[in-house]
Amino acid sequence: MKTWPLWIAGSIALAAVFHILTVFVLPYGIMNRAMAGISAQAGGDNKAVYPERATADSRGIVRPSPDLLYTACVYDVSDRPVRLTSPVPDTYWSLSAFAANTDNFFVVNDRSVRGNRIEIILASNENADTPRGVPLVVAPSTRGIVLFRSLVPNEDAAIEVDQLRRQANCEPL
Amino acid sequence: MKLALKLVAAVLVALVLGAGSALLLVRSGGLGGLVSSGPWETDLTIGSAEADPYTRARVAVAGLLALNRSETIYFTAARDGEGDRLRTACTYRVEGSNPPARWWSITLYGEDHYLVANPQNRFSYGGETVLRNEDGGFVITVGPEEADGNWIPTGQGHTGDTFTLTLRLYNPDESAARNPSGIVLPQIAKEACAS
Repeated sequence: MKTWPLWIAGSIALAAVFHILTVFVLPYGIMNRAMAGISAQAGGDNKAVYPERATADSRGIVRPSPDLLYTACVYDVSDRPVRLTSPVPDTYWSLSAFAANTDNFFVVNDRSVRGNRIEIILASNENADTPRGVPLVVAPSTRGIVLFRSLVPNEDAAIEVDQLRRQANCEPL
Repeated sequence: MKLALKLVAAVLVALVLGAGSALLLVRSGGLGGLVSSGPWETDLTIGSAEADPYTRARVAVAGLLALNRSETIYFTAARDGEGDRLRTACTYRVEGSNPPARWWSITLYGEDHYLVANPQNRFSYGGETVLRNEDGGFVITVGPEEADGNWIPTGQGHTGDTFTLTLRLYNPDESAARNPSGIVLPQIAKEACAS
Protein backbone atom coordinates (compact mmCIF):
# COMPACT_ATOMS: atom_id res chain seq x y z
CA MET A 1 0.00 0.00 0.00
CA LYS A 2 1.25 3.46 -0.85
CA THR A 3 1.90 5.50 2.30
CA TRP A 4 3.05 8.80 0.80
CA PRO A 5 -0.45 10.36 0.74
CA LEU A 6 -0.63 9.75 4.49
CA TRP A 7 2.78 11.36 5.00
CA ILE A 8 1.76 14.44 3.00
CA ALA A 9 -1.55 14.75 4.83
CA GLY A 10 0.19 14.36 8.18
CA SER A 11 2.80 16.98 7.31
CA ILE A 12 0.14 19.45 6.21
CA ALA A 13 -1.83 18.89 9.42
CA LEU A 14 1.32 19.36 11.49
CA ALA A 15 2.22 22.49 9.49
CA ALA A 16 -1.21 23.92 10.36
CA VAL A 17 -0.53 23.25 14.05
CA PHE A 18 2.88 24.98 13.84
CA HIS A 19 1.27 27.89 11.97
CA ILE A 20 -1.36 28.44 14.67
CA LEU A 21 1.18 28.00 17.47
CA THR A 22 3.50 30.59 15.90
CA VAL A 23 0.69 33.14 15.58
CA PHE A 24 -0.34 32.64 19.21
CA VAL A 25 3.17 32.56 20.69
CA LEU A 26 4.71 35.43 18.69
CA PRO A 27 3.12 38.32 20.69
CA TYR A 28 4.29 36.77 23.96
CA GLY A 29 7.82 36.33 22.61
CA ILE A 30 8.04 39.91 21.35
CA MET A 31 6.60 41.27 24.62
CA ASN A 32 9.08 39.17 26.60
CA ARG A 33 11.95 40.63 24.59
CA ALA A 34 10.63 44.18 25.14
CA MET A 35 10.19 43.51 28.87
CA ALA A 36 13.71 42.14 29.13
CA GLY A 37 15.08 45.30 27.48
CA ILE A 38 13.13 47.71 29.70
CA SER A 39 13.89 45.74 32.85
CA ALA A 40 17.60 45.63 32.03
CA GLN A 41 17.71 49.40 31.49
CA ALA A 42 15.73 50.12 34.66
CA GLY A 43 17.66 47.68 36.84
CA GLY A 44 14.77 45.30 37.42
CA ASP A 45 10.99 44.99 37.33
CA ASN A 46 8.75 47.64 38.94
CA LYS A 47 11.33 50.34 38.25
CA ALA A 48 10.93 53.11 35.69
CA VAL A 49 13.27 53.91 32.83
CA TYR A 50 13.39 57.35 31.20
CA PRO A 51 14.77 57.03 27.66
CA GLU A 52 15.60 60.07 25.57
CA ARG A 53 13.33 61.00 22.66
CA ALA A 54 13.32 58.44 19.87
CA THR A 55 15.77 58.84 17.01
CA ALA A 56 16.90 56.56 14.20
CA ASP A 57 19.20 54.88 16.74
CA SER A 58 16.26 53.84 18.94
CA ARG A 59 15.85 50.12 18.36
CA GLY A 60 14.00 48.97 21.48
CA ILE A 61 10.35 49.22 20.42
CA VAL A 62 9.11 49.40 16.81
CA ARG A 63 7.49 52.54 15.39
CA PRO A 64 8.30 54.94 18.22
CA SER A 65 6.88 58.45 18.04
CA PRO A 66 9.63 61.11 18.04
CA ASP A 67 7.08 63.63 19.33
CA LEU A 68 6.61 61.86 22.64
CA LEU A 69 8.76 61.20 25.66
CA TYR A 70 8.20 57.64 26.82
CA THR A 71 8.65 56.50 30.40
CA ALA A 72 8.33 52.76 30.88
CA CYS A 73 8.48 50.03 33.47
CA VAL A 74 7.89 46.32 33.58
CA TYR A 75 5.24 45.56 36.17
CA ASP A 76 5.28 42.35 38.15
CA VAL A 77 2.29 41.87 40.43
CA SER A 78 2.94 38.21 41.23
CA ASP A 79 4.09 38.95 44.81
CA ARG A 80 2.39 42.23 45.61
CA PRO A 81 0.64 45.15 43.92
CA VAL A 82 2.53 47.92 42.16
CA ARG A 83 1.97 51.62 42.73
CA LEU A 84 2.08 53.87 39.63
CA THR A 85 2.51 57.60 40.22
CA SER A 86 3.08 60.58 37.96
CA PRO A 87 2.51 64.28 37.73
CA VAL A 88 -0.02 65.12 35.01
CA PRO A 89 0.89 67.98 32.65
CA ASP A 90 -1.44 70.32 30.76
CA THR A 91 -0.45 68.90 27.38
CA TYR A 92 -1.28 65.42 26.10
CA TRP A 93 -0.17 62.72 28.51
CA SER A 94 -1.30 59.16 29.06
CA LEU A 95 -0.62 56.19 31.29
CA SER A 96 -1.25 52.85 29.63
CA ALA A 97 -0.72 49.26 30.68
CA PHE A 98 -0.14 46.27 28.43
CA ALA A 99 -0.59 42.60 29.26
CA ALA A 100 1.89 39.87 28.38
CA ASN A 101 -0.08 39.15 25.18
CA THR A 102 0.25 42.86 24.08
CA ASP A 103 -3.37 43.85 24.92
CA ASN A 104 -3.73 47.44 26.08
CA PHE A 105 -5.93 46.71 29.11
CA PHE A 106 -5.83 50.14 30.72
CA VAL A 107 -5.33 53.71 29.59
CA VAL A 108 -5.98 57.08 31.17
CA ASN A 109 -5.03 60.49 29.80
CA ASP A 110 -4.51 63.97 31.24
CA ARG A 111 -8.07 65.04 30.46
CA SER A 112 -9.60 62.21 32.45
CA VAL A 113 -7.48 62.78 35.56
CA ARG A 114 -8.71 65.15 38.24
CA GLY A 115 -5.92 67.41 39.45
CA ASN A 116 -2.31 67.42 38.37
CA ARG A 117 -1.17 64.11 39.83
CA ILE A 118 -2.18 60.48 39.42
CA GLU A 119 -1.77 57.46 41.66
CA ILE A 120 -2.96 54.02 40.64
CA ILE A 121 -2.48 50.56 42.08
CA LEU A 122 -1.93 47.66 39.72
CA ALA A 123 -2.75 44.26 41.24
CA SER A 124 -3.32 40.66 40.25
CA ASN A 125 -6.84 40.59 41.71
CA GLU A 126 -9.50 42.94 43.01
CA ASN A 127 -9.15 41.68 46.59
CA ALA A 128 -5.56 42.86 46.90
CA ASP A 129 -4.71 44.77 50.06
CA THR A 130 -4.34 48.33 48.78
CA PRO A 131 -4.53 51.84 50.26
CA ARG A 132 -8.10 53.13 50.56
CA GLY A 133 -9.19 55.69 48.03
CA VAL A 134 -6.51 54.82 45.47
CA PRO A 135 -7.96 53.43 42.22
CA LEU A 136 -7.19 49.75 41.67
CA VAL A 137 -6.59 48.24 38.23
CA VAL A 138 -6.52 44.46 37.90
CA ALA A 139 -3.83 43.25 35.51
CA PRO A 140 -4.81 40.27 33.33
CA SER A 141 -1.24 38.94 33.43
CA THR A 142 1.23 38.98 36.31
CA ARG A 143 3.85 40.73 34.18
CA GLY A 144 3.52 43.36 31.49
CA ILE A 145 4.54 46.88 30.54
CA VAL A 146 3.40 50.26 31.84
CA LEU A 147 4.01 53.16 29.48
CA PHE A 148 3.70 56.87 30.24
CA ARG A 149 3.48 59.01 27.09
CA SER A 150 4.26 62.73 27.38
CA LEU A 151 3.77 64.92 24.33
CA VAL A 152 6.54 67.37 23.51
CA PRO A 153 4.45 69.92 21.61
CA ASN A 154 7.46 72.00 20.54
CA GLU A 155 11.17 72.32 21.28
CA ASP A 156 10.63 75.17 23.77
CA ALA A 157 8.61 72.84 25.98
CA ALA A 158 11.01 69.88 25.77
CA ILE A 159 13.01 70.53 28.96
CA GLU A 160 9.95 71.19 31.09
CA VAL A 161 8.14 68.09 29.84
CA ASP A 162 11.26 66.00 30.41
CA GLN A 163 11.68 67.21 33.99
CA LEU A 164 8.06 66.48 34.77
CA ARG A 165 7.96 62.98 33.29
CA ARG A 166 11.09 61.97 35.23
CA GLN A 167 8.90 62.15 38.34
CA ALA A 168 6.76 59.27 37.05
CA ASN A 169 7.41 56.05 38.89
CA CYS A 170 6.52 52.38 39.38
CA GLU A 171 7.23 50.73 42.74
CA PRO A 172 6.09 47.65 44.64
CA LEU A 173 3.50 48.43 47.29
CA MET B 1 15.76 3.82 11.19
CA LYS B 2 14.16 4.68 7.85
CA LEU B 3 10.88 5.46 9.57
CA ALA B 4 12.59 7.71 12.11
CA LEU B 5 14.28 9.67 9.32
CA LYS B 6 10.97 10.05 7.54
CA LEU B 7 9.35 11.32 10.72
CA VAL B 8 12.09 13.88 11.35
CA ALA B 9 11.87 15.07 7.76
CA ALA B 10 8.09 15.41 7.97
CA VAL B 11 8.29 17.40 11.21
CA LEU B 12 10.98 19.69 9.78
CA VAL B 13 8.98 20.32 6.61
CA ALA B 14 5.88 21.01 8.68
CA LEU B 15 7.82 23.38 10.96
CA VAL B 16 9.26 25.36 8.07
CA LEU B 17 5.91 25.50 6.26
CA GLY B 18 3.81 26.27 9.33
CA ALA B 19 6.04 28.75 11.17
CA GLY B 20 7.33 30.26 7.92
CA SER B 21 3.86 30.92 6.51
CA ALA B 22 2.77 32.45 9.84
CA LEU B 23 5.77 34.79 10.00
CA LEU B 24 5.36 35.74 6.34
CA LEU B 25 1.68 36.51 6.82
CA VAL B 26 2.22 38.51 10.00
CA ARG B 27 5.24 40.47 8.73
CA SER B 28 3.60 41.39 5.43
CA GLY B 29 0.42 42.52 7.15
CA GLY B 30 1.81 45.70 8.71
CA LEU B 31 -0.61 47.86 10.64
CA GLY B 32 -3.16 48.23 7.86
CA GLY B 33 -6.62 46.80 8.07
CA LEU B 34 -10.13 46.81 6.79
CA VAL B 35 -10.79 50.49 7.53
CA SER B 36 -9.34 52.91 5.04
CA SER B 37 -9.52 56.53 4.00
CA GLY B 38 -7.69 57.11 0.73
CA PRO B 39 -4.26 55.45 1.03
CA TRP B 40 -4.47 55.40 4.83
CA GLU B 41 -5.48 52.16 6.52
CA THR B 42 -6.16 51.14 10.09
CA ASP B 43 -7.44 48.23 12.11
CA LEU B 44 -9.79 49.30 14.87
CA THR B 45 -8.97 46.29 17.03
CA ILE B 46 -5.32 47.37 17.44
CA GLY B 47 -4.37 47.19 21.11
CA SER B 48 -7.77 45.82 22.05
CA ALA B 49 -8.71 42.54 23.70
CA GLU B 50 -11.09 42.09 20.73
CA ALA B 51 -8.10 41.68 18.43
CA ASP B 52 -7.92 38.29 16.72
CA PRO B 53 -4.66 36.33 17.04
CA TYR B 54 -3.39 37.48 13.64
CA THR B 55 -4.02 41.16 14.44
CA ARG B 56 -2.34 40.73 17.82
CA ALA B 57 0.69 39.17 16.13
CA ARG B 58 0.81 41.89 13.45
CA VAL B 59 0.68 44.61 16.11
CA ALA B 60 3.43 42.89 18.10
CA VAL B 61 5.66 42.91 15.03
CA ALA B 62 4.81 46.32 13.58
CA GLY B 63 3.32 48.40 16.41
CA LEU B 64 4.04 46.98 19.83
CA LEU B 65 2.48 48.97 22.71
CA ALA B 66 -0.06 50.64 20.44
CA LEU B 67 -2.99 52.19 22.28
CA ASN B 68 -6.56 51.10 21.71
CA ARG B 69 -8.85 53.19 19.52
CA SER B 70 -10.54 54.97 22.41
CA GLU B 71 -7.24 56.74 22.95
CA THR B 72 -5.52 56.78 19.58
CA ILE B 73 -6.27 55.80 16.00
CA TYR B 74 -3.20 54.80 13.99
CA PHE B 75 -3.54 55.17 10.22
CA THR B 76 -0.70 53.80 8.11
CA ALA B 77 0.01 54.48 4.43
CA ALA B 78 2.27 52.18 2.47
CA ARG B 79 1.04 53.50 -0.90
CA ASP B 80 0.35 56.85 -2.52
CA GLY B 81 -3.01 58.07 -3.83
CA GLU B 82 -2.49 56.13 -7.08
CA GLY B 83 -1.89 52.89 -5.24
CA ASP B 84 1.87 52.72 -5.88
CA ARG B 85 4.25 51.72 -3.06
CA LEU B 86 5.90 54.64 -1.27
CA ARG B 87 9.55 54.62 -2.35
CA THR B 88 12.51 56.35 -0.74
CA ALA B 89 13.80 57.54 -4.13
CA CYS B 90 10.56 59.40 -4.90
CA THR B 91 9.23 62.75 -3.71
CA TYR B 92 5.66 63.02 -2.43
CA ARG B 93 3.37 65.91 -1.59
CA VAL B 94 1.32 65.20 1.53
CA GLU B 95 -1.43 67.79 1.68
CA GLY B 96 -4.28 68.17 4.10
CA SER B 97 -5.82 69.99 7.01
CA ASN B 98 -6.22 69.24 10.70
CA PRO B 99 -7.74 65.79 11.18
CA PRO B 100 -10.53 65.65 13.79
CA ALA B 101 -8.44 64.90 16.86
CA ARG B 102 -6.97 66.70 19.83
CA TRP B 103 -3.46 66.16 18.48
CA TRP B 104 -2.02 64.48 15.42
CA SER B 105 1.33 63.65 13.87
CA ILE B 106 2.69 62.15 10.66
CA THR B 107 5.84 60.03 11.04
CA LEU B 108 7.99 58.23 8.48
CA TYR B 109 9.30 54.71 9.14
CA GLY B 110 11.68 52.51 7.16
CA GLU B 111 11.03 48.92 6.12
CA ASP B 112 12.31 47.78 9.51
CA HIS B 113 9.58 49.83 11.29
CA TYR B 114 12.12 52.19 12.88
CA LEU B 115 12.83 55.88 12.26
CA VAL B 116 15.02 56.60 9.24
CA ALA B 117 18.40 58.24 9.86
CA ASN B 118 18.91 61.65 8.27
CA PRO B 119 21.27 64.57 8.99
CA GLN B 120 18.39 66.81 10.04
CA ASN B 121 17.06 64.28 12.58
CA ARG B 122 13.62 65.04 11.19
CA PHE B 123 11.18 62.18 11.36
CA SER B 124 7.73 63.74 11.74
CA TYR B 125 5.47 66.76 11.90
CA GLY B 126 2.71 67.30 14.38
CA GLY B 127 -0.25 69.62 14.73
CA GLU B 128 1.85 72.12 16.62
CA THR B 129 5.07 71.93 14.61
CA VAL B 130 3.88 71.85 11.02
CA LEU B 131 4.12 75.09 9.02
CA ARG B 132 0.69 76.04 7.77
CA ASN B 133 -0.78 77.71 4.71
CA GLU B 134 -2.88 80.83 5.11
CA ASP B 135 -6.03 78.70 5.10
CA GLY B 136 -4.74 76.58 8.01
CA GLY B 137 -3.95 73.59 5.83
CA PHE B 138 -0.49 72.16 5.36
CA VAL B 139 1.80 70.63 2.76
CA ILE B 140 4.59 68.25 3.77
CA THR B 141 7.18 67.23 1.23
CA VAL B 142 8.41 63.69 1.75
CA GLY B 143 11.44 62.77 -0.29
CA PRO B 144 15.20 62.35 -0.53
CA GLU B 145 16.06 65.97 -1.49
CA GLU B 146 15.72 68.92 0.88
CA ALA B 147 12.64 71.03 0.20
CA ASP B 148 11.38 74.39 1.42
CA GLY B 149 8.79 74.37 4.18
CA ASN B 150 7.82 71.11 5.82
CA TRP B 151 10.13 68.30 4.72
CA ILE B 152 10.52 64.73 5.98
CA PRO B 153 13.63 63.06 4.51
CA THR B 154 13.24 59.52 3.19
CA GLY B 155 16.84 58.75 4.02
CA GLN B 156 17.75 57.69 0.47
CA GLY B 157 17.26 53.99 1.00
CA HIS B 158 19.33 53.51 4.14
CA THR B 159 16.70 51.19 5.58
CA GLY B 160 15.28 49.74 2.38
CA ASP B 161 13.71 51.04 -0.82
CA THR B 162 10.25 51.54 0.58
CA PHE B 163 8.79 53.32 3.59
CA THR B 164 5.51 53.88 5.36
CA LEU B 165 3.85 56.89 6.95
CA THR B 166 1.88 56.68 10.18
CA LEU B 167 -0.75 59.25 11.05
CA ARG B 168 -1.55 59.24 14.77
CA LEU B 169 -4.81 60.75 15.94
CA TYR B 170 -4.62 61.22 19.70
CA ASN B 171 -7.99 61.62 21.41
CA PRO B 172 -9.93 61.50 18.13
CA ASP B 173 -13.24 63.37 18.01
CA GLU B 174 -16.22 61.19 18.81
CA SER B 175 -17.46 61.22 15.23
CA ALA B 176 -14.01 60.18 13.98
CA ALA B 177 -13.77 57.32 16.47
CA ARG B 178 -17.25 56.17 15.45
CA ASN B 179 -16.61 56.30 11.72
CA PRO B 180 -12.85 56.38 10.95
CA SER B 181 -13.36 55.64 7.27
CA GLY B 182 -15.35 58.86 7.00
CA ILE B 183 -12.44 61.03 8.09
CA VAL B 184 -10.88 63.12 5.35
CA LEU B 185 -7.13 62.50 5.70
CA PRO B 186 -4.16 64.09 3.91
CA GLN B 187 -3.65 63.19 0.26
CA ILE B 188 -0.37 61.61 -0.81
CA ALA B 189 0.65 62.52 -4.36
CA LYS B 190 3.84 61.38 -6.08
CA GLU B 191 5.70 64.29 -7.68
CA ALA B 192 8.90 62.77 -9.03
CA CYS B 193 11.27 59.84 -8.74
CA ALA B 194 15.04 59.79 -9.05
CA SER B 195 16.05 57.76 -12.08
